[in-house]
Amino acid sequence: MTALEDATTEETDQTADATDSVASSETDSSDSSGGHIRLEGVRKTFDGGDIVACDDVNISMDGGEFVVLVGPSGCGKTTTLRCIAGLEEPDGGRIVVDGEDITGLKSKDRDLAFVFQSIALFPHMSVRKNIRFGLDMKTDLSKAEKRERVESAAETLGLEETLDRKPAALSGGQQQRVSLGRAMVMEPAAFLLDEPFSALDANLRDHMRVEVKKIQRRLETAMVFVTHDQEEAMTLGDKIVVMNDGYVQQIGTPYEIYNEPANRFVADFIGSPSPNLVECTVERTASGVTFASDFCRIPATDEQAAAVQDGQTVVYGIRPEYLSMRDDGGQFTARLDVVEPLGDRDAIHLTSGDTSLSAVTPQGEVSRDRNEVSVAMQTDEAWLFDEHGERIV
Amino acid sequence: MSTDDFDVTAVTLKATTYGVISFLVLFNLVVLAFIFSVSFMPPSEFFGAPHIIPQNPTLDAWTSGFEELQDNLVNSFLIGLGTTVVALAISIPGAYAFARKEFYGKRAGFYAIISAMMFPYILLVIPIMDLWNDLGLYNTIPGMIIAYQVFVTPFAIWILRDFFAKLPTDIEEAAQVYGCTQFTAFLRVILPLATPGIVAVGFLAFLTGWNDFLFANLLTTGTGPVPAVPVLYGTIGGGSGERVYWGKLMAETLIIGTPPTILYLVARNYLENAFTV
Repeated sequence: MTALEDATTEETDQTADATDSVASSETDSSDSSGGHIRLEGVRKTFDGGDIVACDDVNISMDGGEFVVLVGPSGCGKTTTLRCIAGLEEPDGGRIVVDGEDITGLKSKDRDLAFVFQSIALFPHMSVRKNIRFGLDMKTDLSKAEKRERVESAAETLGLEETLDRKPAALSGGQQQRVSLGRAMVMEPAAFLLDEPFSALDANLRDHMRVEVKKIQRRLETAMVFVTHDQEEAMTLGDKIVVMNDGYVQQIGTPYEIYNEPANRFVADFIGSPSPNLVECTVERTASGVTFASDFCRIPATDEQAAAVQDGQTVVYGIRPEYLSMRDDGGQFTARLDVVEPLGDRDAIHLTSGDTSLSAVTPQGEVSRDRNEVSVAMQTDEAWLFDEHGERIV
Repeated sequence: MSTDDFDVTAVTLKATTYGVISFLVLFNLVVLAFIFSVSFMPPSEFFGAPHIIPQNPTLDAWTSGFEELQDNLVNSFLIGLGTTVVALAISIPGAYAFARKEFYGKRAGFYAIISAMMFPYILLVIPIMDLWNDLGLYNTIPGMIIAYQVFVTPFAIWILRDFFAKLPTDIEEAAQVYGCTQFTAFLRVILPLATPGIVAVGFLAFLTGWNDFLFANLLTTGTGPVPAVPVLYGTIGGGSGERVYWGKLMAETLIIGTPPTILYLVARNYLENAFTV
């Protein structure tokens, strides 16, 4: 609590009880100093240790940052979030928020707000009471202040008309907004969102995504967002944490994750269509280093050549947009299977040898009628992974 | 309406449905009408040829019946209420624990409790009488209330456990994130949501305490807190074969039946919610 108070820069003195850690969170102030969350070696197992949900999770999040935990289902992202929220007790490791170790604290004593995938509104309470619930339980604010906070949150979220209805009378999108409102009024050090939009239909999901991002920008409060949708992760995150099998695979900005994946899993998981990953053998000859696959030989760049040994098996990875179609003069020819219009671009699915490849080209550049194309790779954009999937270059 | 629309199967089905319903309703209503009418007849009339409209209506049966039952109704009420309160006090936390908590012997414990329900409880009368005698509970209202728990609480725990288990855990977690302890989350969120189940269980507990004859008759003596139902048995003549005053019997039946009926009407909305799946 002391750490919170130190950081507190209350611009109003309306908070009667300044020692109340919740009410005195500093998220209203313009500097985004609050909400530094640090996970240190967090480990959580279930069924008496048989199932490892997450292990050795080290993440450091700055105040005001939008952090997205992304990974396939069962990768431990939700468990990690629930550990931060205090809904699961980690078996090991520490969770530190703004310098205070909160690992052993009950959820109610953490200055964090959680938005559930299932929305989890209280069905027997009006929207107004739902939004006010946390204020009633955690703070000593006056009635007028609570009302003001509830109404300003409702206005931000477009819920003014629904305040006196029960959640059941609202649409799915409105219900999730109420759930966001319930979190917003708390003015917490950080928001934790567990796949909040997965129950909504696609259009609404895009819309809510933008709204959440706007709210986060305006409040300048840290947000930790869990999703299995890599596209959602890319569009939302300032920082993306990719997880798989309970371990953090890579942490970075969307561009870093996209351009420089740390391992084969991240490369494969992020981006659509998925990158081309081809198993190759390194051949070092007098004329230079090449990567030989079952369908072509790709010359190595100097940097790549320096990092590999003769005879080594590597996985050569390259994003579809770095494959270009030519009439001739490519590195190899491939059969054209399908052209998939994506709007301004086309996804081209190819087969060469026994390997399926995909490429992305500007709309209409490759005619659907063609059977065979010559393909050139922009080799300086390629990644190399070793046999364990770790990045070499 | 064109005759093409005439669907023999549908009409037959409908006619059968209404036929069955009418039969069941009449079956109850005719009997109820006789109970009602006989309760207003002087003895000379109900021992005569059966008829439905009393020729010389009288309130004698009602006044004497009510007078006889007065004190016993109070006993019944106290027993019913006590049974309800104690049953809820035991089964709400018990059912919640079985629904939400993990503990050693949870399954075995639950089935042990349920199997207590399968016991023909007349078997229990003798040991309970004996035990209650030693404990000083024989012939007392608390004694009755505790005795009824033997078969009320297992049933209550069974129903409420399903009720609690059906409530999403996320809602409870949300309450905890937003400032509740597990206990206050239970009070503020789980209890209100389980109200239909609790009302239903409470109602059934009250009915048991109010309507039971076996324990009521065997765990009390004439000098003790006899509930209303055994008095009704007395009115029939206690099986002695003496002349039965049907008018008084009917009046007393109606008097005893009224409080649960009112209670049912009050709790009706909750009860319907509790038992619809």
